[in-house]
Amino acid sequence: MIDIENVTFQYEDAVEPALRDVSLHIKKGEFLAVVGHNGSGKSTLARHLNALLLPTNGAVRVEGMNTKDEENTLPIRQKVGIVFQNPDNQIVTTVVEEDVAFGPENIGVPPEEIRKRVDNALLAVGMEEFAARAPHMLSGGQKQRIAIAGMIAMEPEVLVLDEATAMLDPKGRRDILSVVSKLHRKKGITVVMITQYMEEATAADRVAVMSGGRLILCGTPEEVFRETELLRQHRLDVPAMTELKERLNAAGAELPDTILTVEDMADAICRSLLKN
Amino acid sequence: MPIVVEKLKHSYMEGSSLAHDALRDIDLTVHDGEFLGLIGHTGSGKSTFVQHLNGLLQPTSGTVTVDGFNMADKKQRVQGRRLVGMVFQYPEYQLFEETVQRDVAYGVKNMGMGEKEALERADEAMALVGLDPVKFRDKSPFELSGGEKRRAALAGIIVMRPKYLVLDEPMAGLDPLGRHAILDTIDSLRETLGCAVVMVSHSMDDMADRAERIAVLAKGRLIRVGTTAEVFGDAKTLIDNGLDVPQVSRLALMLRERGVDVPSTIFDMDEMELALLRLLGKGGEKQ
Repeated sequence: MIDIENVTFQYEDAVEPALRDVSLHIKKGEFLAVVGHNGSGKSTLARHLNALLLPTNGAVRVEGMNTKDEENTLPIRQKVGIVFQNPDNQIVTTVVEEDVAFGPENIGVPPEEIRKRVDNALLAVGMEEFAARAPHMLSGGQKQRIAIAGMIAMEPEVLVLDEATAMLDPKGRRDILSVVSKLHRKKGITVVMITQYMEEATAADRVAVMSGGRLILCGTPEEVFRETELLRQHRLDVPAMTELKERLNAAGAELPDTILTVEDMADAICRSLLKN
Repeated sequence: MPIVVEKLKHSYMEGSSLAHDALRDIDLTVHDGEFLGLIGHTGSGKSTFVQHLNGLLQPTSGTVTVDGFNMADKKQRVQGRRLVGMVFQYPEYQLFEETVQRDVAYGVKNMGMGEKEALERADEAMALVGLDPVKFRDKSPFELSGGEKRRAALAGIIVMRPKYLVLDEPMAGLDPLGRHAILDTIDSLRETLGCAVVMVSHSMDDMADRAERIAVLAKGRLIRVGTTAEVFGDAKTLIDNGLDVPQVSRLALMLRERGVDVPSTIFDMDEMELALLRLLGKGGEKQ
């Protein structure tokens, strides 16, 4: 779906590059999480996926279309939609359904088609009852769901969430995560989720870890979070249950290496107790 | 002397058809030097509550006194407010001066302190929050990273040497590294300045780690107050109120549901490690 080939990127006036020789292939239909610290380059990478930023060196291709080629910009942006961190900066109108319709209207989708898309998009994020409401009266999580609906109404093939849950409370975060997982499962949308929450990344098919502008690890959550030492070297958090598993195994317990979630841990403990 | 909140009620848009009580029947004392965590859902009244602590909002009924100063009284409020430093969400949006040092000094200058002393105090406050004054004092606040900006904003409050430091979601939007750094800074501020800390946060793992007492708000009412162990030890009440609990608490509950004999009150990773090692027959005697 998207090929990132040896991409280096340096902001104007910056002393050091924000991305250094990053190569990554995003597969069609996958759910990829990108984790890393502030300043690790993860958001810079996200902005390369729909030509908001162009590589200083290397290339990004969306279904073969090079983002550097200006005539590709529009078709690329119709394929790849980004939802940003702050919901308040992404809502432009005073009625929820108008906001969701804003994008499709802009690209000239016919009115009856827009109606259908808006209804479907609001349904997909569980906000259909709020169609006629004013966005500023909604909670942060609800606003962010509206922003996602606005993207879905554009019918992108890739949905990029650039720390879209960072400003939300735990419930808002869970809501967004479940909406996104559902879109991924039911509609087959490719999801790229930039996040600093390791627990969110455990829900993805693959996890890419950024540090200092480089891609330092990429693999299934089990593969990535097994590398606790490397993660700690880069001062990244390890999921709490992975840490507990490590401590128990260091004291002689024999728990599997793949534990990421509370459920995994409970299963492993119960199995281990049955064996004894 | 503490901050004493008695029978606090706050209604928004009172007298109109849209009136609703954001807070009801709140009795709570903030003791000298303690670390009190305040948790609750979005809309539970946390932010409304903390705005009463420095008199930004006035009770519809009930009283708030800060070291004896009644915050409903205009003159006393001025005195009480000096004792309470308030750090709002995303405080970095409030930076505006040309240099970090001037920004940090703004509050004390406003209180009538001379330029020279104010700038000295600003340097001191910057050092306290971990911003080297030599390196940062002449920088523009806008050149700073997200975490540094937040520190600068915190310094702008610390410079006034508050006795009570109230923080509304101080870690929101920061990455794990930035989060730990801010928490460490808060701990060291308590140690050096002896100030009490009231912190609103959604991060239960951080709360479990740092707070001494926890107050839980739900729908405008205080549903629990107690030591961190008491409140997180009763994870079920929190979950029933739709709140998150530390992951270790969730594990304890899940294991008990499956008939594994671990105490339901465990919320701390060290304790869980010992309990599980004992169960698995690996001793669990380590120090």
